[in-house]
Amino acid sequence: MACVYIPVQNTSEEVRVALERLPADATDILDILKAEQAPLNLWLTFAREYFKQGKVAEFLQILEEGSSPEIDEYYSDVKYDRIAILNALGAYYTNLGRVESKQREKDEHFIRATQYYNKASRIDQDEASTWVGKGQLLVAKGELEQAQEVFKIVLDGQRDNVAALLGQACVQFNSGRFQEALKLYKKALQIHPQCPASVRLGLGLCRARLGEFKKAQQAFDRVLQLDGNNVEALVGSGIIDLNSGDENRVQAGLEKMLAAFEIYPYCSMALNHLACHYFFLDQHPMVEQLTEAALAATDHVLIKAQSYYNLARSYHTREDYDMAARYYRASTAELKNPKDFILPYYGLGQVHLKLGDWKAALASFEKVLELYPDNCETLKAVGHILGHQGRKEKALEHFKKATRMNPKDVDAWLEMGELLVSSDFAAALDSFQTAHTLLKRSQEVVPLALLNNIGVLHFEKDELESARKAYKQALGEGIWTEYSEGHRSVDVSPIEDNELFRSLEDKGISLDIPAEKVTVLFNLARLHEQLHETGKASVLYRLILYKHPEYEDAYLRLGALSLARSNISTSLELVNKALEANDKNVEALSVRGNLEVKTDDWLKAKDTFKSILEIKDGNDNYAMLALGNWNYYAATRGEKKVPKLEATHLEKARDLYQKVLGLQINNMYAANGIGVVLAEKGLFDISKDIFTQVQEAATGNLAVDMPDVWINLGHIYLAQGQFGLAVKMYLNCLKRFYHNTDHQILLYLARCHYEAEQWQECKRVLLRAIHLAPSNYMLRFDVAIAMQKFSTATLQKAKRTADEVRQAVFELKNALRLFGQLAGVKDKQVHGFDEKKLDMHGEYCKHLLDAAKVHLEAAEREEQQLRQKQEVARQLAMAQEARRKAEEERRLQLEKRRRDAEQRIALQLEDKLQQTKALWNKKTHAVITDDGEDGDKPEKKPKKRRKKEKKSTAPDSDGEEGRYSPRHSDDDVEDVPTRSQGKKKRRRRAVSDSEEEGEMTPAGSPVQYVDQPSDPEDD
Amino acid sequence: MKVNSLKNVAGAHNDGIWAAAWAPATDSRPGLLITGSVDETVKLWRGDELECERTNTGHSLGVVAVAAHPGGRIAASTSLDSFVRVFDIDSNATVTTLEAPPSEAWLMQFDPKGELLAVAGGGSCSVKIWNTTSWKLEQSLTVPKAENGADGKAADKVGLGKFVLGVAWSMDGKNLACSTMDGTVAIFDVGKGKLIHTLEGHNMPVRSLVFSPADNHVLFTACDDKHIHMYDARSRMLVSAFSGHASWVLSVDASPEGAAIATGSSDKTVRLWDLKMRASIQTVTDHTDQVWAVAFRPSGEGSSSGRLASVSDDKSISLYEYT
Repeated sequence: MACVYIPVQNTSEEVRVALERLPADATDILDILKAEQAPLNLWLTFAREYFKQGKVAEFLQILEEGSSPEIDEYYSDVKYDRIAILNALGAYYTNLGRVESKQREKDEHFIRATQYYNKASRIDQDEASTWVGKGQLLVAKGELEQAQEVFKIVLDGQRDNVAALLGQACVQFNSGRFQEALKLYKKALQIHPQCPASVRLGLGLCRARLGEFKKAQQAFDRVLQLDGNNVEALVGSGIIDLNSGDENRVQAGLEKMLAAFEIYPYCSMALNHLACHYFFLDQHPMVEQLTEAALAATDHVLIKAQSYYNLARSYHTREDYDMAARYYRASTAELKNPKDFILPYYGLGQVHLKLGDWKAALASFEKVLELYPDNCETLKAVGHILGHQGRKEKALEHFKKATRMNPKDVDAWLEMGELLVSSDFAAALDSFQTAHTLLKRSQEVVPLALLNNIGVLHFEKDELESARKAYKQALGEGIWTEYSEGHRSVDVSPIEDNELFRSLEDKGISLDIPAEKVTVLFNLARLHEQLHETGKASVLYRLILYKHPEYEDAYLRLGALSLARSNISTSLELVNKALEANDKNVEALSVRGNLEVKTDDWLKAKDTFKSILEIKDGNDNYAMLALGNWNYYAATRGEKKVPKLEATHLEKARDLYQKVLGLQINNMYAANGIGVVLAEKGLFDISKDIFTQVQEAATGNLAVDMPDVWINLGHIYLAQGQFGLAVKMYLNCLKRFYHNTDHQILLYLARCHYEAEQWQECKRVLLRAIHLAPSNYMLRFDVAIAMQKFSTATLQKAKRTADEVRQAVFELKNALRLFGQLAGVKDKQVHGFDEKKLDMHGEYCKHLLDAAKVHLEAAEREEQQLRQKQEVARQLAMAQEARRKAEEERRLQLEKRRRDAEQRIALQLEDKLQQTKALWNKKTHAVITDDGEDGDKPEKKPKKRRKKEKKSTAPDSDGEEGRYSPRHSDDDVEDVPTRSQGKKKRRRRAVSDSEEEGEMTPAGSPVQYVDQPSDPEDD
Repeated sequence: MKVNSLKNVAGAHNDGIWAAAWAPATDSRPGLLITGSVDETVKLWRGDELECERTNTGHSLGVVAVAAHPGGRIAASTSLDSFVRVFDIDSNATVTTLEAPPSEAWLMQFDPKGELLAVAGGGSCSVKIWNTTSWKLEQSLTVPKAENGADGKAADKVGLGKFVLGVAWSMDGKNLACSTMDGTVAIFDVGKGKLIHTLEGHNMPVRSLVFSPADNHVLFTACDDKHIHMYDARSRMLVSAFSGHASWVLSVDASPEGAAIATGSSDKTVRLWDLKMRASIQTVTDHTDQVWAVAFRPSGEGSSSGRLASVSDDKSISLYEYT
């Protein structure tokens, strides 16, 4: 038992005081100390003992007595002990100030501490321990620079002052200069190897901070060897173990934490780490207990933040988001700077997301991102929120960065793909495909939805085969495979086939479609539709409906298939089935409205569209558009136009279109509608601008089919007399949208040619139209008119050939025959012409035919004359030729004769020569034969030359003709414009002369929305 | 079973070609291909090189149909002017000119024995049957407006009844099928001059139809609804529907042995269909515009492989080897 002996004054006796049994009241001790005038160091000893036993009041009482002015006076020569007492008090208040959280109290404590140290300094300015105390006070106040100065003063004086060394080490450590701190700790240890274990702790902490975990742990372990109960060392060593990732060591680390907890249940660090451990074991009550204990035990902000974080995390996993949010927020509230501990911000963001507070979540995540701009998870979270807020561009930036940071993050690719779907099919597809590849590479299951999305995007990009593959992969094997690949023949009946499927099921064939695959199967059916494999599409839709009768879209598609085959009643039936399943199905209602328009059920259609608007609170673009169209039809439909009614309907239509545009600025159909209304009012230039813009937009969009705008533009050009452009529009429209099968557009085209007075083109276009729409007799009437026009125009030309006149007569006869045939058709009014009209045209043609006879005679006469002239010329030419030939012949004859004569002479000469030779008696005959051959040559040569002449003249004349004919046709071409201008003028006169001027004036609006017949002759 | 392109004659006519038929071979010459165009001419083509044998004029307005007599000596052509011109294939001498006003003349077909010529009468709602010896109008078979009016179709608003577009004889010559604008197909017993029944399934114009050469009751119809139907004309049953064309199916013909059909469409393609698989097995894309007619050359020409011809609005003729 440790005892302290107080020497009794002036005796050799001592009062023995057992330290374990100090009197409860310090006054007792003080009385003895004062009475016996005990040395001051004893005062300090007792005070320290009280302090150790936690009796702070007694501790203070003794020290304050010990530093009172009387003591100063009495013990004035005992410098060191007086300083020691003052320094102890200084240290005490320094510590109080250090742990105090309230700034005012904190400052007061520090002031008192400063006062004590100053007093100590006054006793001896050079006392090192005072300086050390002052240094520690500065460290506590956070004034590290000054502290460093102070410790330096000490160390300058006493290089081996351990306390100053430790103080300086502390300053360096807190300044983040761990290397320097380490050096100082080492030095302190060298000087004072028996120093308390905690010095080695400093060593360990430095090492740990320097990342030298092995050495750090050695240091901690050494501390523990010296002092098995050193909690900090246990915790330090434990943390290193826990962070090692080695399972055994984690276990060991945990044991150390537990040991620390056993020794000192108030060590927050240990508590937090234990809590963390139990968190991962899902033992949430333990987490709660431990963190609460930790919170109670510490004032250290970081540790508190950590504790709150643990607690929040625990609630977070238990999906108690409100509580989680509260504790995450508590955690962040402890922190001065998010930099110190970022995790609660991330957690808070997550919880806010769960709670649907997008804004708060974004704020939290953005804080994280400020510090960790490359953190993939946070980038994704922020991207996700931005996407949700509709800030797509920004969202995409974040996802792009996330995928750059971690190109293997499947989620990031997926979400990026989804963001891109609405704007950029190709990029979206790329994203999805990257995700797909990543999943496959890591041999993970590819989600059905991803495959479906890939399929849909391929579909949108018109890459049907790739789409099919994706769907196939998503669907796997099933009855659908047999249908889709044509292994099972497809039945034809459109609706009632439950029997078929039931019989298949009776045979034990499974027709089950898992719920998650229904949409994919539907998409596959859509794909077959796109490939025009309607049989397969239809059977798949029906299969879906057999198993999932609530899948209304399948009814609608079947309805659309029936409608495409003009089976309106079946189509209506199917749409009604969809409505039976859900009478608020806006899409089904829209389809029904359209069908009602098609069957001329105007009032019903209007009601249907209005009911859609009721369901959607007046905010359905489609229904509004349909009603706009409805009003437009109503305005232009009537046989007899009532101008006032027409105007109101048009106005209504425009209002509705405008409303749609107000809701959706890029709605092409509404824009087109407005263009139509404006055109109807004669504002062609404005409507043309609108149509042109819509056309540009529609051309750039694969998903939009808008033939109307092409037609409308054509109408505008036609109305403005730009026939070439109008023709181009109509032709493009026919080709692009109708496979050249739409006779209505051909009719517009014919009208164009008619207006341009291109009768033959007009006729040919109309013939094609008749071929496409054989039962449309109006077209025949129009053809007859075109032929009549052609003939009239030809016959009234000032200059025409007999052939032209003959053709005109021929066409007139055809026209007459057509008029005659049409006269035999029943129900003429239905077709748009009547007996009177036919008779009139027939009469006119006959009249013209009669007139044509004269023309024909005149033309034929002219032709005859021309022919005669030509004949004369030809004969003249022939005679000349004959003469030339005769001349030539004669010349040749002469030539021949001359040559013959020459030859003869030659021969004679030769004979003579022969004779002479013979006479000369030379030996060979060779010369003679040679000469004989020579003699032949002159005969041949001219012949050859003649042939050559012939050959060379032929190309010449060809060349001339060749040159001539282009020149001729050039003339023709040059002629054409002037001639046609002349023709035009003359024709107008002809028309005004003609009695059916009124007949011929094309009437009716040129602007048609859809399916409004506009016959050239429709008046 | 497939077709190989042999030859494409671009610019075979001055305008779109609307009709094609094979004239069977005679003792003096092989089979010829007859084509008719909106350019108002009929042309005859010989051999695999499709050399133009002759150009017949005489029609006004576009030529909509050509038909050859099974004997191979005479043929008929008709145009939008509603005249049927019967002519000697080898001499082009006009045999006769037929008309039955106010009836128009659309598609035509000689019966397999060559005794009769059936002409689709368009708006007269009837088929006109001409005797090929006397060239007298033998019969007029009318397609009634609607059988008891309960076929569920939208009433024909123009009140014309069934506008008749196409005709087809069964191989035994007993039955005649005719197709109409509203999709109804009527089957007649020609001997009795009576309508047997109508076939349902199409609701759009059926522009072409043909009986199987292998079965007197199997009928194929080509419709604007993009489908080809295969009917049992006796039981009225719709046996199969072929889909795949992207636009109107304008023409159908059955291969001589009856195992395949070929179709031409507004989608510019010619498709070959395997009747056993009931599937499209080949799509030919030689043409650049609507394919108005396809025609298999009749078998029995002593040649090893068959021929298929197609004609189009692109003014060209395509010839294929069918194996």
